[in-house]
Parts: sequence; structure tokens; C-alpha cells
Amino acid sequence: MAEPILAGVAESDLGETPDRNWLDNAAVATVRALEDAGCTLAEVDGVAVAGGDDYMPALVLSEYLDLDEPSFLEGTEIGGSSFEHFCGHVRDAMARDEADVVVVAYGSTSKTGPGRDQSLEETHPIDGFVRPTGLFRPPGAYAMAARRHMHEYGTTEEQLAEVAVATREWASMNPKAAQREPISVEDVLESREIAEPFNLLDCCLVSDGGGAVVLVSEEKAAELGVPEIAVAGVASTSTHRQDISEMPDMTTTGAAVTGPKAFDQAGITHDDVDVAEIYDSFTYTALVTLEDLGFCEKGEGGEFVSGGTTAPGGELPMNTQGGGLSYCHPGHFGVFVLIEAARQLRGDYEGDRQVDDAEVAVAHGTGGLLSSSSTVVLRRES
Amino acid sequence: MTGHVEDRREDWEGPVPVPTGATAPFWDGTLEGELRYQECECGHRQLYPRAVCTACGAEDPPFEASEGVGTIYTYTVCHVPGEPGFAERTPYVVGAIDLAEGPRLLALLDAEPDDLEIGAAVGVRFWQVSEEAAIPVFVPE
Repeated sequence: MAEPILAGVAESDLGETPDRNWLDNAAVATVRALEDAGCTLAEVDGVAVAGGDDYMPALVLSEYLDLDEPSFLEGTEIGGSSFEHFCGHVRDAMARDEADVVVVAYGSTSKTGPGRDQSLEETHPIDGFVRPTGLFRPPGAYAMAARRHMHEYGTTEEQLAEVAVATREWASMNPKAAQREPISVEDVLESREIAEPFNLLDCCLVSDGGGAVVLVSEEKAAELGVPEIAVAGVASTSTHRQDISEMPDMTTTGAAVTGPKAFDQAGITHDDVDVAEIYDSFTYTALVTLEDLGFCEKGEGGEFVSGGTTAPGGELPMNTQGGGLSYCHPGHFGVFVLIEAARQLRGDYEGDRQVDDAEVAVAHGTGGLLSSSSTVVLRRES
Repeated sequence: MTGHVEDRREDWEGPVPVPTGATAPFWDGTLEGELRYQECECGHRQLYPRAVCTACGAEDPPFEASEGVGTIYTYTVCHVPGEPGFAERTPYVVGAIDLAEGPRLLALLDAEPDDLEIGAAVGVRFWQVSEEAAIPVFVPE
């Protein structure tokens, strides 16, 4: 099957963007990613967007960018993994010659924008079984899953903290990262309690910002002369949505399904993976995803992440921009996972920040409350 | 009668369930101290209540009364309030409870965090929070 090429990537301004709304940030990221690809807005014939405060996000972004009758419109909302999920739909559309240049975009004002609805009115049919418990979501829901993992497999808070420590090491080399001061396991354990077993440093940041990636057909990529970063495998699934107690097994995510599928499509094994960009909404998210993708046995994630395995110079470089834990987290981090994977495969960086001769990357998104999982394998064609 | 109903309408400032078609029998039960789940003719048991059975697709599976006992599948201690009305309650415990009959339910655990462990037995109580509903709250047995 023809593989879409990831031709351009970019972030909007990150951190605090009080003068921009989600749409502004998505649009700014889009034009920057197009510039990175050497494309113009006039060439865009498809848009895929999630998040945002509009129930027709693909239409509103198309209108905002004044796109001329786009042939591909995608606004499926499966949370933070939407962007990985879109890659499969883009692949299908390109196989049918329906699109040549598709923008996958996201924008938010999670930090400075209006907070989520705090009214007592129900907003969802299932809310009556969730909101009266007072559960602090998302952290409390992920925390419940982490607690169960600790119970079944002996995973420790120290091991969870190792994820945050290694991720911060990467962030220290990224000028765009919000948090760059090195931290220790003790720092994580001593940070403010949020929802046990999570402390503040087990939890992702809350940021404003947007990101975009430009996917083009192989023909268009050849015309543009961009490095061929191919979408070699994509798979998505979900286990539940609103109520974490609906997750059949809180110690196993949908990544256990999507990982093998995406790896098979790409024809790769774990030994082929040079760099992993794994959604880290919380330390546990990354740990359990590594297990489910098969980088270690189920239950051994705690041991696996200990001792700098995922840190600079480690066996499996992970979240090399500093992740949602230390770089930015404007709500749906999945788009930033793709952006960094592409940059590593292109060899954009220097020194320790660049993973040596990276050819294969895994970009994995998680959405909702460990609810959706989407895996993308990216490969640099030599 | 599976659990005591305590009237908390005066001091409850948290979100309140709004019974709808499929969930109304569940909330009606809570006012009587009865924890109900759906048990379809095909044998499948489920919560939260739905208009369809997720195993066989039958519409409006009937309700049964639970014994109101179960075990803690997992829990978290919230140090940050997750909803309006919970600020003065911190730290409080929210758990996923495996009912003896099978279905799993998200619920407040009215207990000291140190007294809890996964797998521990719990029983249901109800806090009436509106004219229409009492919320199930579990306590260690």
C-alpha cells in the first residue's frame, strides 16, 4: 500500500498564548508545518483536526484557512491519539488518490483559556455514574490504573518516578521545553500529592499551544524533495471512554492490540525501533504503554524504565523532546508525538539531543482516560 | 434493602445524578437503599445501566437487586478536588468496586485511606443527594 510521507511538522507558540484561541494556534502550527514541508496553503486538499472547542472542527479549520473545496475532511475525536488515528485514514484516502496534501492539526488554550464546564448539570449521559464520586479526572482515573498495576506487578512509585526523571533529562536539551531543570526520583516523590499514587511530577504539564504535521503522497513528496519519512504502520482501538471502571483490565491498554498490528504492517520488530515517542500524560501512561507495545514483558515496565533505559544514551530513547511531562501538554499531546518522531528521523538535532542514525520511530498516542490507543510506525526511507 | 440511606441533601454541594430513561430504575432503587444492576435474559449482567444488553443486544434488560457487597478493584486518594463541592472533603477516596454479582462500579469510598487495600471487602451505603437520587458509597466491611 502507498505510504503517506510526513513532509512537514511544526508547533505554534507554546506555554501561554493568551492572545490566541485554539483555532489560531492550530492555524499557526499549520502554516509553519507547511513552510517546513515547502508547501503552500493553496496546495492543501485535506484537513484532519481534533480537540478545539467546536463540534465541527474540520469545517471550522477549513473555513479559517480558506481552503478551496478540500477533498478530505476528518474530525474524529478520540482524544490524544486522534492524530495517530488520522494517519490511517489519510493513508486510505491517498491510496484512493483522494488527497495529496493533508494537514493534521491541533490547537488549544488549556492553560489560559476557559476551564471545562464546572456546572452541576450533567453534560454526558454517563456523568451521573462518574461525577458524583468527585474523581479528579484525568489524574485520578490514571492513578487508579497505576495503583492496580502496583498491586498486580509490584511496580513502585520510585519506578514511576524514573519515567519523569529520564524525560526531564531530554527536556533539559530542548529550548522549547517548559521544565528543563534536572530532577531526581526523590524530587518526584516529594512533590505535591495529586491523586495517589501520583505526585505533581508524575503528571503532565498544562499548556497552551498547537501542533501540525503535513502528510503528502509519495508523488508529492518526490516533487517537494523532502526526506521520505513514511507512515509504515498504523492501528487504533479503544477500551472505554468516560468511566475508568469500564476499562476491562486497568493494567493493559489498547496498545497491546495496536502495537503488534502497526509493527506487522511496517514489517519491524522491537529491535528495529531507534526511538519511541510515547504519550506520557502521566508517568504510568508511558510505563504501561511500553509494556503493551512489547518493549518488555507485561508487569516488567517498572524494572525496564529504571536506570535510564529511556534517557539520553539509554537503550530506548523515549520522549526525546521532554514529553508531556516536561515539554508541553496542551491537552491532546498526540500531535507532538508525531512531530518529534519525524524530527528525530530527519536528523534535525545535534549532539546528545539527536538519536544516532534513527531510521525507525514508534509514535504512540493515548486518549481519554487510557481509553483510546493509536500506534504509528514511521520509517525513514533511505 | 441492601444499604442504609442517609439524607445528605442539606450539605451536598457536588454534582447530582439526573435519572434518564435507562438509568431511572437504578436511581429509583437508590432511594430505597437498593443497589440495582441489569441482568439480561441471556445471563449478562451490567452497570452502568444501558438501553441495550452489551452481550446479546436485547433492549431494556431488566434490573435485579444486588447484595450490595463487593471488593475493591482499585482506588485513588484525591488530594485535589475533581468536582464542585469536593474542596473541603480532600483527601477523599474513589474506588472501582467489583460487586459480588460481577459488574464494576465507580464510587466514593467512605473510609480512611490507610484502612484500604485492593481486594478488601466493602459494602454499600447511600447518600441521598437530591429528590431523585442517592449515590452509592462504599465502606469497609
